[in-house]
Amino acid sequence: MSEINNFADIEVEDLNLWYGSNQALQDINIKIPSKSVTALIGPSGCGKSTFLRCINRMNDLIKVCHIEGRVKIDNKNIYDEDVDVVELRKKVGMVFQKPNPFPMSVFDNIAYGPKIHKVPKKDIKGIVDKTLQDSALYGEVSDRLDSSALDLSGGQQQRLCIARTMAVEPEIILFDEPCSALDPISTNKIEDLILELKKDYTIVIVTHNMQQAARISDYTAFFLMGKIIEFGETNQIFENPKEKRTEDYITGRFG
Amino acid sequence: MDPRTTEKLAFCFLRACIWIVVAFVAILILYIVIQGYSIMSWEFLTEMPRNRMTEGGIYPALMGTAYLVGISMAVAIPLGVLSAIYLNEYAKESRSTWIIEMAINNLAGTPSVVFGLFGLALFVKYLAFKPSIISASLTLSLLILPVVIRASKEALITVPQEHREASLALGVTKWKTISSIVLPEALPGIVTGIILSIGRVAGETAPIMFTGAAFFLPRLPESVFSQFMALPYHLFILATSGLNPMETRPIQYGTALVLLILVLLINSIAIIIRKHYRKKLHR
Repeated sequence: MSEINNFADIEVEDLNLWYGSNQALQDINIKIPSKSVTALIGPSGCGKSTFLRCINRMNDLIKVCHIEGRVKIDNKNIYDEDVDVVELRKKVGMVFQKPNPFPMSVFDNIAYGPKIHKVPKKDIKGIVDKTLQDSALYGEVSDRLDSSALDLSGGQQQRLCIARTMAVEPEIILFDEPCSALDPISTNKIEDLILELKKDYTIVIVTHNMQQAARISDYTAFFLMGKIIEFGETNQIFENPKEKRTEDYITGRFG
Repeated sequence: MDPRTTEKLAFCFLRACIWIVVAFVAILILYIVIQGYSIMSWEFLTEMPRNRMTEGGIYPALMGTAYLVGISMAVAIPLGVLSAIYLNEYAKESRSTWIIEMAINNLAGTPSVVFGLFGLALFVKYLAFKPSIISASLTLSLLILPVVIRASKEALITVPQEHREASLALGVTKWKTISSIVLPEALPGIVTGIILSIGRVAGETAPIMFTGAAFFLPRLPESVFSQFMALPYHLFILATSGLNPMETRPIQYGTALVLLILVLLINSIAIIIRKHYRKKLHR
C-alpha cells in the first residue's frame, strides 16, 4: 500500500466488521487525506459501502453489526465510549444512493438541520441561499423554494440533499453512489459539484462507475471481498496498478 | 369459453358485488333518515326524556356519548400512538416484542362484551370507580387501543427508511427524527385508525352496559364519576325494554339518526385534519 503523506483527516486502523458471523470488512487500514476526493471502488458486495457507513457510524443502526478497530477523525477514535454520535454525524455528513429529500418544501429541507441544531432564525434564510448557491441549484429553484422538494427532478433532488448536508456545516461528506439513480447530465452536474466541494470538504465517494472515479477523485481505494487491495493516487491506480487484481478489475476482466 | 366473454362476466360479477354493498349502505341510511326525520328538532336534541321516555328529547344520552368519545379518545390516542412508536422505532425484534404484538392482535379480536366484563371487574369494582363515565370511558379506550396501535404501527412502517437515515445523518437525535420527520409523515395513516375507533366508541353498547350506562337519568352527569345515558344503550332500551316499544319507534329512529350523524360529523372533522396534513406533506 502506498503511503500518502498529506495531512490525513480520517485514519482507519485494523478495522474489522461482522454482520452476525459473516465478516464484511477485514483488517482495513487507510489514511484518507484532507480536502480531497477519495473514491472507493470494487465489485458489488466488496464492503465499500459498509466501510463508508463506518465513518459516520450509520452501521450502528444495524443490530447484528459488530465492529472492532479504530476510525480516527481529527485524531479521535469515533468508536470510543465518550463519543457523541449525534455530534459526529454533524461533522461527517452523508449523501445517499437514492435522492431522499423529506416531503417538505425545498426551503424546509435545507432549513431542517440548522433549525434542529438551534441556529438563530434570522440566519436560516442566509444558510439556505448560500447552500443552494454552493450546490449549483439556486438558479433552478430560487423561485420555488416553497414548493415541494418531491416535485424536483432526480438530479435536482440529489443536489438538494447535498445542500441539506452542507447546511449543518460538516467537515467531511460521504457519498454513497450518489449518481447511480441519475441520468448522465445530472451525473455530470453532481461530479462538477463534488470537484467544487473538495476545496472546503474532505470527500469520500463510493462509486460503481470507474470513469467517475477516474474523473473526480484524487485518491482511489480498491476493495475486494472486504479487504483493501490497493490504495493510492488515482492516476497511479488507473495507469499503473501494482496489484494484478486491481488491474483485472479496472480493465474489466471481472466485477 | 371465449376469454373475452369470461372477462366480461368477471367484470359484471365484480360490479354486481360493489352494487350490492352500495345498495345495502344506501338503504340503511335512507331508512334511518326517513324513519327518524320526522322527530328531528332542536328540542329533540336539547330536552330531557319525559313520560317514561315516551316523549321529549335525548339530550342526556347525546351528551353522555360525547363524554365517552372525548375521554376514551384522550386516553387511547396518546397511549396507542406512543406504544406504536416504541414498538416500531425502538423495540428490538425479540421474543418479548413478538409476544406483545401477538397480544395486541388478539386483543383486537376480543368480543366487546368481554371488555365490558373486564371493565366491570377492574374499574368499577377493583379500582372502585363505580359505574360511571370514567369506568366506561376507560373500558372503551382499552377496547380501541389495539386498533389505534395497529393502525399507527402500519402508518409508521410506510415511512421510508431513507428519511430516517437522512435525518440521522444530519446529526439529529433519534427522538427528534421521530417527532419531526417520521410522525408527521405517518400522521394521515394514524388519523385513519383514529377515525375507525371513534365510530366504535360512539356505537358500542355491551361494554358500557356493564360499566355505567344508566337506564334513565333525568339529568346530566355531575362529574366523571356519575352514571350516564348514552345513545346506543338508550336505543337498545327503548327498542327492547319499554312497556310498548311501538310507541317509541320514532324516538328510536331519531336516536339512531343522531348517532349516525354524530359519527359522520366526527369522522369528517378527522378527514379534514388528515387532508390538511397530507397537503402539508406535499403528497
